[in-house]
Amino acid sequence: MHQSIAFRTAYLLTGSAADAEDAAQAGFIKAWAALHRLRRGAPFKPWLLRIVANEAHNRRRSSGRQEALRLRSSAAHPSDGAAPSPEGAALEREQREELLIAVQRLDVRDRDVLTCRYFLELSEDETATVLDVRRGTVKSRTARALARLRLEVEL
Amino acid sequence: MNELERALTELGRELAVPTAPDLAAGVLARIEPRRAMRLRRRRLVLAFAVVALAALAATLAIPEARSALLRVLHIGGEQIELVDELPAVAPAPAELDLDLALGKRSTLEQARREAGFDLRELDTEPDRVYLGGRGTVWFLYGTPSKVRLLVAQTPKLGLGEPFLLKKLAASGTQVEEVLVGGARGVYLAGAKHLVLLVDERGEIVEESARLAQNVLVWEANGVAYRLEGDFKRDEALTLASSLR
Repeated sequence: MHQSIAFRTAYLLTGSAADAEDAAQAGFIKAWAALHRLRRGAPFKPWLLRIVANEAHNRRRSSGRQEALRLRSSAAHPSDGAAPSPEGAALEREQREELLIAVQRLDVRDRDVLTCRYFLELSEDETATVLDVRRGTVKSRTARALARLRLEVEL
Repeated sequence: MNELERALTELGRELAVPTAPDLAAGVLARIEPRRAMRLRRRRLVLAFAVVALAALAATLAIPEARSALLRVLHIGGEQIELVDELPAVAPAPAELDLDLALGKRSTLEQARREAGFDLRELDTEPDRVYLGGRGTVWFLYGTPSKVRLLVAQTPKLGLGEPFLLKKLAASGTQVEEVLVGGARGVYLAGAKHLVLLVDERGEIVEESARLAQNVLVWEANGVAYRLEGDFKRDEALTLASSLR
């Protein structure tokens, strides 16, 4: 049930399928061993993702690199589902690639907060748990990261 | 949500994330040996309890021998108990186990920020840093499966009953009281001794069961320090003095 989001989280943080699989597996094992420490009533998903994210960070740090994320080849359709003109599709794809490159150029802390908020679509509270920071920090980092992105892309 | 935020959300949905592999199989493959090890450790703890109870019964029967068993030292959050015979310990635990036992993997910068006391460091940066129970900051030099040097610093406020570490020293272990920069300390050397961490609830963290090398423990300025490594007494004292 949580396998997919755990793997996706680790992959988006490391950029490597092998590291993501390893981090997600280690995360599940650690979560299983530490289950008694999960606060009663606390949501499981962000707690699990925090452990997975820690594992992913460790692997990212030890490998010293993050491979570039890529768009799907089918990414050329517009968000409203209308059939795109070839030019429109190409433009949209170009904009998304530009945005992706800009995200990947950000400082790692800014990138991580955007990854949680928009790529994983987590709430501010969930993001705070996953990144082990205060909610206020999530807000300020998100605002800062978005401001930096605006300097890079025209949106 | 503004346009940039919407664009980021759509971008996230279009990212080429590989299909999640079957994690369950990998997790099970990694857990099984560990589960077997846990069972071995449970037997080990039980075996120790049996040895200790047998020894207690024997010493209570012979009053003059009682002090030998009841030689228990408390220092730096550790309880050091001398037993007649150290139970057999399973081979060095897997890396994952010690990783789990020490606490949350961290960075030196984060540890400095979050320690809540003045962290003392050696000139060389540790290979791994962990934030553990009772506010303990662990510096590991080497790897969890091959520890060259382990440095633990625990704020005294985080200590109390039950103790952070429960150490069982074999009769072949040399226990020497020393002065570390004027503070009372204990140096343990000789036969390897069994170390078990005790968590906040007073429960033994089974994953932490392992044979420790030589150890120097002392308290200073409200912090308990512990060095573990393959060093002689004077080398340990020199290391302690270079911890700044």
